[in-house]
Amino acid sequence: MNVPTEHLLILAGILFSLGALGFLLRSNLIVILASVELMLNAANLTFLAGARSHSSVGPLNLDGPIFALFVILVAACEAALGLALVIAFYRQKQSVDIEAAAELKG
Amino acid sequence: MIASIMIQEAAQATTELQAQFNDVFSGGAAAALMPFTALAVGALLMLLVDIIKGGAKLRPVVVIASLLTSAFCAWNQIGEPASAVLGGTYLVSSATAAFSLIFAIGALFAWVYGIGYYEGKLQEFRGEHDMLMLSATAGMILMVGAGDLLVFFIGLEILSLPLYSLAAFRRARHDSIEAGLKYFLLGAFAAAFFLFGAALIYTATGTVNLAELASLYQGEVAQSPIALIGGALLMAGIFFKVSVFPFHLWVPDVYQGSPTPITTLMATGTKAAAFGFLIPASFLLPPAATGIIAAIALLTMAAGNLGALVQTNVKRMLAYSGIAHAGTVMLVMAVILASGGDSDVRDESMNATLFYMAAYLFTSTGAFGLLAMLEREGEHMLTLNGLRGLARRRPAVAGAMTLFMLSLGGIPATGGFMGKLYVFMLLVKQDMIAVAILGALLSVIALGYYLRIIVTMWMEPLGEGEEAKLAPVTLPASIVTGLCVAGVLVMGLMPGWLLGLLG
Repeated sequence: MNVPTEHLLILAGILFSLGALGFLLRSNLIVILASVELMLNAANLTFLAGARSHSSVGPLNLDGPIFALFVILVAACEAALGLALVIAFYRQKQSVDIEAAAELKG
Repeated sequence: MIASIMIQEAAQATTELQAQFNDVFSGGAAAALMPFTALAVGALLMLLVDIIKGGAKLRPVVVIASLLTSAFCAWNQIGEPASAVLGGTYLVSSATAAFSLIFAIGALFAWVYGIGYYEGKLQEFRGEHDMLMLSATAGMILMVGAGDLLVFFIGLEILSLPLYSLAAFRRARHDSIEAGLKYFLLGAFAAAFFLFGAALIYTATGTVNLAELASLYQGEVAQSPIALIGGALLMAGIFFKVSVFPFHLWVPDVYQGSPTPITTLMATGTKAAAFGFLIPASFLLPPAATGIIAAIALLTMAAGNLGALVQTNVKRMLAYSGIAHAGTVMLVMAVILASGGDSDVRDESMNATLFYMAAYLFTSTGAFGLLAMLEREGEHMLTLNGLRGLARRRPAVAGAMTLFMLSLGGIPATGGFMGKLYVFMLLVKQDMIAVAILGALLSVIALGYYLRIIVTMWMEPLGEGEEAKLAPVTLPASIVTGLCVAGVLVMGLMPGWLLGLLG
């Protein structure tokens, strides 16, 4: 059975929107980081769906999967750096709530 | 059957790979990539130098050597015909070379201001600091040279990840960690938008190569809703990096909380790198978006200038001023879209952007650098109160700062004025006179706060107890400030000479 590309795109759109909403509405930094990962994976799903639909009508198209591999790599780096920053933040504030980041304003 | 197709394709891919390897080793690609390679090698060397005993003395040598090599190679590329290497994934032209030169010089200046700034503090992490700085600069070069979306994305991350950690570099301080965290979160959010946009564009077209996309966008692909949504999301991701309305809210916090030399690098380099990609990639937006882009540009100028008017912290004020300047350069994007992507207009817009960013480099680096110098006397020097009567204590510093403020405000005989003039002339040529007038009016508002700094320095009496403290000015920082002053004046008085270089 073959899932149509449109369905994959709709799924990716839903995942991306959920991630974006999570990012904007939640205040726990860990959940915010997870939301960003969700958005990145929505992009990966889209890349793979695109690669499949182009490969099925023309020559094998690997641009998408390669892009997705790089995205996974970068997502790992971002997660490492993000958690390091969250830990540094926690050490100072004893909290992982974004509301605690209120030193700079004006 | 499937297996034989796969073998055939594998064989074809191998031949292509072989061709690309030949391309690399023939020297064309290696020479084209030199400005990038010099910095990447410098960054890796820095990691090595940092762990050998007594290597700390070699640190400045590595930084200066790799930045100067990069600048020299970029200088040599200016004026050479445009070419694409590595299978079209990397482009070299006068414009990319000039941008690379701007980045290398900007990073060098920022690093020099850092010498005095970090004196006696955070020394144990200076190796990491310099390595991250070189790496970020390498990322900027990759961004403007990118021939496809993947290379641009990698450049963007090589730039951004080091900058997130550098923003949080003063890690004992709450404001620095907060700046790093905010920068990181919003940067990752924007990167996700960029990626999802790129993925949608890929789904609609089947390629991520900019040249192929440009020719496909001439046809009906440009009308497909997936490509349109993808283009909008991708642009939103980049707009965050150039800090235009409504993606500008992070800028003041991040600029204020970061170490001042790093703020310098962010203000000049990141923005220029993102614009260096935006202009060649402007075809991703339909011509119908002209009005929206012009509105975004004007709103950015308004948000930046009105935000700056009420600030008392000068570092934060300059952050808002940076937003306003990004808005002015965004007007160039509107010009390109209004012309329907005409290649002559695009080239001229590229030159205007380059000129503007070069002038902004000297002005903004000088201004932030002077703040970094003054900050050593105490953090109150970053506020308007601290600057009171500065001219009586330090006439040279106040004089240089005055020139930078005049250039930021766009007063004639400075580089900032010529940059603005160039942008507004493009607008008038494209018959966007209403936009030009609104933009000029918004620039006038900006004079309100630039002049306030000048008046505070020259006309107000010294604050109490301010006479005693005078941190010594280091020689390298004075030289760099002198170069910035010279740059601002040369660009203001002899703009033709610089434009002639670009052809």
